[in-house]
Amino acid sequence: MNAKSSIAGRLGSRRSTSMTAAVTVAALALSLAACGSDSKSDDDKGGKQADPSAVAGALDQPAEITFWSWVPNIDRTVALFEKKYPKVHVKLVNVGQSKDEYTKLQAALKAGSGAPDVAQIEYYALPQFAITKQLVNLADFGAASLRDKFASSAWSQVNVAGGIYGVPQDTGPMAMFYRKDVLDKLGATPPKTWAEVAELGKKIKAADPANFVTYLDPGDAGQANSLIWQQGGKPYQVSGESSAAVKLKDDPGAAKWAATWGPMLADKTVESTPSWNEEWWKSMGAGKYALWLAGAWAPAVMQKNLPQGAGQWAVAPMPTGDGAPGSAENGGSSVAVTKQAKNKAASVAFATWLNSDPEAVKSLNSDVGLFPATRLLLDDPTFRGADLPYFPGTKPNEVFAQMSGAVRPEWQYLPFQVYANSIFKDTIGQVYKPGGDLPGALSTWQERITTFGKEQGFTMK
Amino acid sequence: MSTSTLPDRPSAAGDASSRFFRPRGRRPHRGRGGSGKSGGRRDRRDRRDRKSTALTVAMALMLGYTLLPLVWLMFGVTKSNEGLLSSRGLWFADDFNLFDNIHDVFTYEDGIYLRWFANNLLYSVVGAGGAAMIATLGGYALAKFEFAGRRLMFALVLGAISIPGTALAVPTYLLFSDVGIVNTPWAVILPSLASPFGLYLMRVYAADAVPDAMLEAARMDGAGELRIFFTISLRLLAPGFVTVLLFALVATWNNYFLPLIVLNDPNWFPLTVGLNRWNGQANGGSVAGSTAIYPILLTGSLLAIVPLIVAFLFLQRFWQSGLSAGGVKQ
Amino acid sequence: MPPPGHAVKRGALRRNLTGHAFFFPFLVVFVIGVAAPLAYAFRLSLYEDRMIGGTVFVGFDNYSKALSDQLFSAGLVRVALFFAIQVPLMLTLSLLAALAIDSGRLRGAGLFRVGIFVPYAVPGVVAALMWGYMYGKRFGLSAELSDLLGTELPDLLGPDWMLASIGNVVTWSYVGYNMMILYAALRAIPEELYEAAEMDGAGAFRTAWSIKLPALKPALLLATTFSVIGSFQLFNEPSILSALAPASVPTNYTPNLYAYNLAFNGRQFNYSAAIAVVLGVVTVFVAYLVQLATARRERMQ
Repeated sequence: MNAKSSIAGRLGSRRSTSMTAAVTVAALALSLAACGSDSKSDDDKGGKQADPSAVAGALDQPAEITFWSWVPNIDRTVALFEKKYPKVHVKLVNVGQSKDEYTKLQAALKAGSGAPDVAQIEYYALPQFAITKQLVNLADFGAASLRDKFASSAWSQVNVAGGIYGVPQDTGPMAMFYRKDVLDKLGATPPKTWAEVAELGKKIKAADPANFVTYLDPGDAGQANSLIWQQGGKPYQVSGESSAAVKLKDDPGAAKWAATWGPMLADKTVESTPSWNEEWWKSMGAGKYALWLAGAWAPAVMQKNLPQGAGQWAVAPMPTGDGAPGSAENGGSSVAVTKQAKNKAASVAFATWLNSDPEAVKSLNSDVGLFPATRLLLDDPTFRGADLPYFPGTKPNEVFAQMSGAVRPEWQYLPFQVYANSIFKDTIGQVYKPGGDLPGALSTWQERITTFGKEQGFTMK
Repeated sequence: MSTSTLPDRPSAAGDASSRFFRPRGRRPHRGRGGSGKSGGRRDRRDRRDRKSTALTVAMALMLGYTLLPLVWLMFGVTKSNEGLLSSRGLWFADDFNLFDNIHDVFTYEDGIYLRWFANNLLYSVVGAGGAAMIATLGGYALAKFEFAGRRLMFALVLGAISIPGTALAVPTYLLFSDVGIVNTPWAVILPSLASPFGLYLMRVYAADAVPDAMLEAARMDGAGELRIFFTISLRLLAPGFVTVLLFALVATWNNYFLPLIVLNDPNWFPLTVGLNRWNGQANGGSVAGSTAIYPILLTGSLLAIVPLIVAFLFLQRFWQSGLSAGGVKQ
Repeated sequence: MPPPGHAVKRGALRRNLTGHAFFFPFLVVFVIGVAAPLAYAFRLSLYEDRMIGGTVFVGFDNYSKALSDQLFSAGLVRVALFFAIQVPLMLTLSLLAALAIDSGRLRGAGLFRVGIFVPYAVPGVVAALMWGYMYGKRFGLSAELSDLLGTELPDLLGPDWMLASIGNVVTWSYVGYNMMILYAALRAIPEELYEAAEMDGAGAFRTAWSIKLPALKPALLLATTFSVIGSFQLFNEPSILSALAPASVPTNYTPNLYAYNLAFNGRQFNYSAAIAVVLGVVTVFVAYLVQLATARRERMQ
């Protein structure tokens, strides 16, 4: 199946930069036919026996698709879709953001009805829904052919539990945002290594003890996971469908992470603070933090929340241990089709169009403000060279695209990452303070996650 | 403060209004019942109207405490997002943005706030009105009819109050999902119709407010039980009914946990759930979501509070007389 | 013509049926909204649903696990502490306010009555949001107060102060409500008692001590009983404040939060149901203890 579909995939993707969606769907249908015969998935028959032309034509038949997403302004991209396929009606519902949506999705899937056809799911939560077989394995619909359309860091994250459970929508390759004005005042240059970050912290502290080089959020497991990932960590490992391992205690990347941040916490050059609330925005606006290490989605958010910061901020590659490029994904999400979808062919075709059609991905980027997961834009010189008025005179997309290429491979999330992240604040969050024992907290976190995994029936190594 | 799957479950030290209705031994003052403004009471007031400045100042401090957050909120709603971030909490920002904020509240996300408001009205009127009526019928039955199993019923109902709302949320969701009413107004209204607390209140209240002799006399005259209830008893139960209604109204208006679980479609959200979703958006937490909507959130919160305060002020005469009437029966 | 005894029986039967008929609507909504979900919750608590391995019947395993779960008992101890400190404080404030308003010596008593009661009408979600903003140590009112006093106030959202800060939100929300209840009870004290006290030459303080307080005792007892339920089920306030200070409110901060996180983030619906049932039993037990203690004291007097 792999050989066949990858040929189809390559044929499809080589040219698809200029292809219309109809052709993309046709390619999908082709590869569906190619792999349908030897697919071992226990997916329902609709997937396997679907007539290729039926899938290709799914969007030309009247259909109703319910799509759960909390992304603001995504209705604009959906409107483009409906204009193109007037017979398909997409009901866009915002049931809540991130965890709120997963709670509802979980409940509806458990109840057996009430779930949407298509749902927005962040990468970290995808394995949980995939491993419990609550999502459609898109490989049964030929999605393997999409592989080359997406950044490998994005594609690897939808490739879980032996299937393809989502179409990548956006990514968040981590970069370093810094306050030019703050650094200029100190006569400092943007740090390239973690040692330089620590150095900068001391300078800032000496100038004004109320300011910090950056912050750590005791409630944000995603931040810690990304920073561990960025240091080369692979603390979560999943093998097969029922076996997993948590190695936070012994993971070299996690150890580097602790060695980087522990001393900065001790020096009080890094502040422990919850983020994304009013107070934090005030601090960001006031220049309290010289650096912000965040995904490439940050510019859209900054423009909305810190309009007065235009021109103050600039973008640089992530600092690393040795100064060589290295990054990680921070956030980002995919679009998945649920097992309860009534019209699976149309749902898959919609999810595919939304995230890979040239018109759609441009809209996602410019109308919605998402940082792309698709090579169509990541490899596009016009995109990379675009000016962002918020960062005058720089080419931030170029930096982001570089970071996207530098994302360290082979990271995995646990099939119960949502729970693991929820108890982050009980463990690591408790030691985000001067003198806090980061390695000790890594062990505690590991123990609690491992216990949970065993209770859920996993073989925990 | 409790999760209150059921609107009338007591929360915090709250919902103890029943204590008024608790008969406490002898009741020598039957003659004064009803209005709560008894003649003797007024005399006592007049006799002791030496005003104390020290006491007034002490109480003013307490009033300051209870009003502080509301004053803060009122300043907050006059500010733009930038103003909120840059100004003092208890004073105006440089710009005066109140009208823009109100406009934004009603137009944000295609004006869904109005829809939420209407939903709240629906849930409160049907839920609280129904709950008060059903509790009145049930309380009357418990107090005035010796029917089999009533003691058991009453004990079960009271015991059920102590089970946390979170325990019931998931089972309620799964059950309602089987019946197919998840994500419909019924999922919110049906559970809020059961008010164990209102039942308790009305049982105690009805025991005293409706004299057995009067019922016997009516029956002698050959009146049917339904007619007796609607023409005689209901009128006597009115103050208790209004009080139960108001407290049920607060409970349904502020109901949060159950709608959060059983509703998916924002078009059916009540205000509390909708506002908290905006709060989630304001506080980001996730990738692409953040929007500068603090002013909208604050203004929406204030507008959500106003109707209840108005209802309490407007109905003050009724519910205070209800409380006092209950109070007489001690 | 039937014998008289028969008529009485028929009357009793009729009344029995009428009673059932009047009670029936309540029974229906109670079964739908409370009894059925409760029974279902109990059933859930006897099973275990694993991501790998599916659902199995485990009897009372979840209960024995709950009883030895230190995360659960830590939360229980915390809410017990909350109950022991916050409730007496709040009820004392409510009592003083009710006595002051009832004393007739207050200027503008009506304003106080309404103004102190108003927070009750504010949804708990909104109340916690407002206080959360004001607690902010950098830009909140707490920060402005620090500036004003020129000293650093403690971090009200920090782990050391969080329980007190939650207690404040709860007190703010319900102090006026309890005041109203006590005030109405005060107004119901028979005038003759005051007259008698006056004739005995009792002062304002003695009148309050020997007439008003005893009359309020049943009302206070009931308030305390319901506070047991409120305290042990603490959820909304810590849940909303945790967004502003995650590390100060761990997932097992209160038993109810613990059950919520297990169910909705950990999809351990079954264990969560068992926790909730145990919590319910503990609540009923403590409420019963409060009743018992009061009854005993009364007997001793």
